[in-house]
Amino acid sequence: MLGILKAMRTTLGHLPQRKITVQYPEQREQLPERSRGLFRVVVDPATGEPRCKSCTLCETNCPVQVIRVNYQSANALPAVNEARIQRVRTDAQPTPDLTQIAPVIDHYRETGTGLMAVLQHTQEIYGYLPRVALSEIAVETGVSLSQLYGVASFYDQFRLSPVGRFVVTVCHGTACHVAGAPLITDAFAEELGIEVGKTTKDRLFTLQTVSCVGACALAPVVRIGDDETHGRMTPDKARSLVNELRQRAEVDR
Amino acid sequence: MSAKTTDRAQSIHVALERALHTDGVVAHDGAREVRICAGTACHASGRPAVTAAFHDQLAELGLADEVHVVETGCHGFCEQGPIVVVQPQGLFYSRVRANDVAGIIAASIASDGIYEKRLYRDPASGQPVPYERDIPFYAGQRRLVLALNGKIDPYSIDDYLMEGGYRALAHVLAADDPVAVIDTVESAGLRGRGGAGFPAGKKWRFCRANPGNCKYVICNGDEGDPGAFMDRSVLEGNPHSVIEGMIIAAFAIGAGVAPVHGYVYVRAEYPFAVQRLEAALVQARERGLLGDDILGSGFTFDIVINQGAGAFVCGESTALTASIEGQRGMPRGKHIRTVAHGLYGEPTNLNNVETFANVPWIVSNGVDAYRAMGTETSKGTKIFSLTGKLQNGGLVEVPMGATLREVIFDIGGGMLPGREFKAVQLGGPSGGCLPADLLDSPVDFESLLAAGSMMGSGGMVVVDDATCMVDFAKFFLQFTQDESCGKCVPCRLGTKRMLETLVRITEGEGRPGDIALLEELSQYIIDGSLCALGGSAPNPVLSTLQYFRHEYEAHVNDKCCPAGRCKALITYYIGGDCTGCGLCAKKCPTKAITGEKKQIHVIEEDLCIKCDTCRQVCNFSAVKVRSGVERSDPADEGRQGT
Repeated sequence: MLGILKAMRTTLGHLPQRKITVQYPEQREQLPERSRGLFRVVVDPATGEPRCKSCTLCETNCPVQVIRVNYQSANALPAVNEARIQRVRTDAQPTPDLTQIAPVIDHYRETGTGLMAVLQHTQEIYGYLPRVALSEIAVETGVSLSQLYGVASFYDQFRLSPVGRFVVTVCHGTACHVAGAPLITDAFAEELGIEVGKTTKDRLFTLQTVSCVGACALAPVVRIGDDETHGRMTPDKARSLVNELRQRAEVDR
Repeated sequence: MSAKTTDRAQSIHVALERALHTDGVVAHDGAREVRICAGTACHASGRPAVTAAFHDQLAELGLADEVHVVETGCHGFCEQGPIVVVQPQGLFYSRVRANDVAGIIAASIASDGIYEKRLYRDPASGQPVPYERDIPFYAGQRRLVLALNGKIDPYSIDDYLMEGGYRALAHVLAADDPVAVIDTVESAGLRGRGGAGFPAGKKWRFCRANPGNCKYVICNGDEGDPGAFMDRSVLEGNPHSVIEGMIIAAFAIGAGVAPVHGYVYVRAEYPFAVQRLEAALVQARERGLLGDDILGSGFTFDIVINQGAGAFVCGESTALTASIEGQRGMPRGKHIRTVAHGLYGEPTNLNNVETFANVPWIVSNGVDAYRAMGTETSKGTKIFSLTGKLQNGGLVEVPMGATLREVIFDIGGGMLPGREFKAVQLGGPSGGCLPADLLDSPVDFESLLAAGSMMGSGGMVVVDDATCMVDFAKFFLQFTQDESCGKCVPCRLGTKRMLETLVRITEGEGRPGDIALLEELSQYIIDGSLCALGGSAPNPVLSTLQYFRHEYEAHVNDKCCPAGRCKALITYYIGGDCTGCGLCAKKCPTKAITGEKKQIHVIEEDLCIKCDTCRQVCNFSAVKVRSGVERSDPADEGRQGT
């Protein structure tokens, strides 16, 4: 009896207070359109210490720059080094000339359709989608940056980091696979010393795969850039192709 | 018919006649011409140099005015590219190099002979076949959609008009009866060529009946299936046929009901198709065949090109519309179809490139002629892109109901020398593999489905005994796993788990029960996915399990890859045929091969990265592969150079 009365007191005590919850699902909190919830630092159950080591990798690499790492002085770590963050960013992505995309955005404003085309043209200009260009497009078109980033990261065509001078695309279509495309990719990866999707340190080569270029009769097919196609490849040919391209770059220099 | 309507019909036909500028015609029947295939494959094999050589050398000989050089769309015989056809004789030269051009001009253009060196040779008899019409690859086909590919210049609307192009459109506009057009298409039995085979006429009728502020007609050219390129070839070779089909569809769906807008969604990986389509749209607008008041009929329709950005799932109708709207291409549930609620919420009719290209033919030639081809349920023809380990790969257009054997062995010329047919994979990553026992089954929508495969968009990949079916299934699953948009959990995670299991099996770590696990997961993915990508993703695994279960069992139980493809389960060794030439040792990237000159070389197993280079460069087939406990080497001879 006493327990019930105690419980009733708690209940009644809360009655006049302002509600802090909403009647889900009738009512819903207004969240940003592409909200994925909040960030939280994971605590290691064994030690009770947070796993975060304040390395700031997430901060420097977040494409939409929504992460800020605030170091606590108790850990005797350096304060936020804005200059360093800026330097890492410019090293990764040189500052692009934004005036180049103005006509593309103007065209979008006139027609109101073809967001993909805006991104495609931007990539044509810079070779990838620079972070600042995406922000510029978001500001100028009124489409939220998170939506732009959502689209850019969904489609294989869009790249969020600069590419090398030669983009080596190995076709992994069915015909090419049967004819040994994985061996070709391995040969390129080994010769260039990079994984698929990565760019060499000297910014000369980017290695990527594509699901099909539709030139199945020439399988396995490798494309260099947009215009150059090499058919009936072998691992050996792949290695000599890399050397040939390196020489080409040497001659141009 | 009242005088007014006859006048209107008359004026439309006059407008069509005016649209043709005869001085713009590039390809002429019976004229002296050099027709060079300008498809993607021939381009990659060196077409630009060949064209330039013809232009230069004809000009040097003063023949440039008499003999025209025409760059046509894809001839379809991509294996033999670059292809050059000399008209009017119809001489067919294959694998032409720039240094052959002088010989061809001297033999076949300046005089009336034949340049033997580049004639096509029949693989069965070894005899040269000089004329295009006699080549078995072409003789066995019935070309309806591809009829003008290889004949006209895709950059010239006049070529298309000269061949009777846009006549079907004029006929439809003059008759001014949209419902009759739908009736025609429906009674012709035209079914969607994109894979599902939904009757096109029925779709048009639904779309017309559904109310909306406007309607959309979308041409789906997002040909993402690896191993399929028929849509690309149609768009590259004869873009106007697709445009004409789209205008007719738009008229049938929207005339007198609501305004209609058109989109062509084409893959950005097909740069030639986009260029040629763009050029064709500009020309069609200039000649009054597209845009406001088409041919003076009062009907208005225009088409915008939308380039895809490399997402396979965007071939799905709801994902495609989301992509055009500038969203992530994620499908939605189709309890409400796109014909009711599609692009921007309006009724939307979406058909495949090939479906649209069929429409002008049906209108021009009539329902009966179309129904005469095909089987009971599947009418007309179907284009297949025939690729893989066979003699004559390329584009093949056959009437529905032709057997797989006819397509692969009669038209495709059978397997490469010394190789054996193992399976044919139809329908891309959604389809299945059919074994040799089913070679006599006809290709139509129902028969293929019953056999555990599907028509899909028409990719036909033939594999030989050197292909590991587990690895093959893994390849397709890798693809669908990469392309899964992530919306439905069974597809997103299920394919991932299936892939892990397959990787485990191919790496020799398969466990008992893995095969049953694959089957169980497959069923869940099929049941729990919204769109066809998930619903058909397990098909390659299920069909290989059905017909090639012993290969899975060999991987799991014996840790052996019968085809000698799975890297973790094979070792390379050099057999007694080695002459000690040292070529493999020179080419080996890790220096794993050692041996004295003229002595049998040895591969150091620890250093070998199994890159296959040694086996491919060996001229004596001495480098062999063995797998598993029993020392068999089923994948050596003949695989060389493939």
